[in-house]
Amino acid sequence: MRIFDIIRIAQGNLLRSKLRTFLTIVAVFIGTLTLSLTNGVGNGVKVYVNKQLGNLGAEDTLVVQAKQTNQNPVSTDVVKYNPDRQAGTFNIVLLLEKDIQKVKAVKGIEEVTPVYMVQLEYISAGEDKYTVTTNQYIDGLNIDMASGRTVKLNSASEITIPARYVKPLGFESEQDALNKTVTLAFKDSKGELVEKQIRIVGVQQNSLLGNLDTSIGVPLAKEILDQQTLGIPQLEGRYQALLVKYDSSFGVEKLEELKKTLDKKGYFAQTIEEQVGIVSTVIDGILMGLNILGAIALLAASFGIVNTLLMAVKERTREIGLMKALGAHGRHIFAIFAFEAISIGFWGGLFGILVSILIGSVVNNVASQTFLKDFVGFDLLRFPLIPSITILLGIMILSFLAGALPSIKASRLNPIEALRYE
Amino acid sequence: MPETKETILQLTKVSKIYKSGSEDTAAIKDIDLIIHKGESIAIVGKSGSGKSTLMHVLATLDRPSNGDLIIGDKTTTELKNSELDKFRNKKFGFVFQQFFVNPRNSCLDNVVLPLVIQGVSPKERKKRGEAILEAVGLLDKAKSKANDLSGGQKQRLCIARALITNPEVVFADEPTGNLDSETGKIVIDLLFELQRKNGITLVIVTHDQDLAELCDRQITLKDGKIIQKS
Ligand SMILES: Nc1ncnc2c1ncn2[C@@H]1O[C@H](COP(=O)(O)OP(=O)(O)OP(=O)(O)O)[C@@H](O)[C@H]1O
Ligand SMILES: [Mg+2]
Repeated sequence: MRIFDIIRIAQGNLLRSKLRTFLTIVAVFIGTLTLSLTNGVGNGVKVYVNKQLGNLGAEDTLVVQAKQTNQNPVSTDVVKYNPDRQAGTFNIVLLLEKDIQKVKAVKGIEEVTPVYMVQLEYISAGEDKYTVTTNQYIDGLNIDMASGRTVKLNSASEITIPARYVKPLGFESEQDALNKTVTLAFKDSKGELVEKQIRIVGVQQNSLLGNLDTSIGVPLAKEILDQQTLGIPQLEGRYQALLVKYDSSFGVEKLEELKKTLDKKGYFAQTIEEQVGIVSTVIDGILMGLNILGAIALLAASFGIVNTLLMAVKERTREIGLMKALGAHGRHIFAIFAFEAISIGFWGGLFGILVSILIGSVVNNVASQTFLKDFVGFDLLRFPLIPSITILLGIMILSFLAGALPSIKASRLNPIEALRYE
Repeated sequence: MPETKETILQLTKVSKIYKSGSEDTAAIKDIDLIIHKGESIAIVGKSGSGKSTLMHVLATLDRPSNGDLIIGDKTTTELKNSELDKFRNKKFGFVFQQFFVNPRNSCLDNVVLPLVIQGVSPKERKKRGEAILEAVGLLDKAKSKANDLSGGQKQRLCIARALITNPEVVFADEPTGNLDSETGKIVIDLLFELQRKNGITLVIVTHDQDLAELCDRQITLKDGKIIQKS
């Protein structure tokens, strides 16, 4: 038999019971739609996260923390007291000056800066005061700026603010905020309010990753923290983390070695990317769950295919018998039914993917005008060609497998018995 | 009587045993039979005597339980199913009592089915299909659905389908069984006319004594055994 004729006969058979074929295709369509949409979200988020991570900068920087003895806040373990392992807020083990020296001594480490974690009371540019958090600027970090520039690492009088603060603080635009002075207030160790006048040098683009806090230079952060911890022994001269610059010529292997060395000395080191990357791990997990839902829908649909084809084989038993009596090979009959199964998968899959792309473009449009307005370049759903084709091929293979049992059944029919079948 | 006595089908000690439950029933037993090229042969006998079974075995639709079927110079016992499929497609034609047409398809589509299976090009199929429909007087029905035909027309369609591959042997199982005697006669006349014209070997299973008499030879079966040859 010619392939053309096998396809023609298969298509004719599908059209014979249009409603049944249609319903089976709908089942595949729903499964594909689910799978394609979750994949679309996955790709959209991943592309965005990678874009953000890709230009994160600060490539040769590690964030070093003390290894936590009491990771689990509800742990019931009773741990032996160790005067060196001082615990700060939330039982976080803090780092001391001697830790800085210890880390500095590790081969390959060029520079160590403590992270001065400060607590601010408010920010204000006139009347209204707003709560605010801040991060100390990390050397080389690329912050996506809407206007102006990042703060100078060694500046004690500069700040950059996230774009969302522009309007509340009373500035016209992101440009307008530049070079304006704001008041930053914090409480010192005696609980008294201290105000500082600082100049805005830049406005940060809104982003899902980091970029949420204001950013200040190292000396300013140190100055504030010193005032906040002055005279409190369990906080003074203690740091939550250290920023460590390592030899920029280090490759992946050397970096791993360095991390291991730090680990042996009792420190936990991560690159900035790894720190932010935890977000994408969480997202991956959620999307995996959604994908499983899509896969289950497809599995259900493939039972629909099995059922549809079994019915078709029964209905056409005589026809199959006639074809075999007239000399059709078993594999011809198999091919006809297998092709029917694959067609159902193909059409259901194709429509599922096309509709998901349609839905995606509508959602992206709406999102970019509403809740994702501030996240420039973030398409919630993305449908790259290769994964979409992979999904389609996967569904065709799945439907082929679903059609295999009925097809084999049809191909093995004995012509005489099939002809006698009423 | 054909002048050449070339053997086209030969059965040697052929039995067909059906297992039904624990009991074995032999539908045909120890059949020895030679069929010559170009002759017409009738298989007669009471219902259940094994006529259809014998025809199925001769036509490779069923494999014998014992003994051999020899087609030309080939012993079919040694052939694979796919090779038997080819034999049936190229060398045999079939006419059944219940017609077995695909009612939704056009007459032309029905008649060219053996050529579709053979892999003949659509163009050639159409040409040969129309020619054979003309020979059975159904050319004007080429585009009609097979369902719209009368019984006699359906059987003529089946004869056309059986002959379209220029087969060497045509097997007909009760070809007039579903037709009134008048229509049956028209169909049979057509069948014999085309058989003689093309030098085809014809094997007819029938209850109808008049039809059997038209054949060159008759074989009578009883309880799966040949009791009379003529
Ligand atoms: N598939 C089968 N399974 C079991 N027994 C069978 C089968 N096919 C035929 N038989 C038995 O074999 C015997 C011969 O059957 P066959 O159909 O050849 O008879 P027949 O002469 O063609 O009868 P009829 O004139 O009624 O068509 C019968 O007893 C029948 O019951
Ligand atoms: Mg019979």
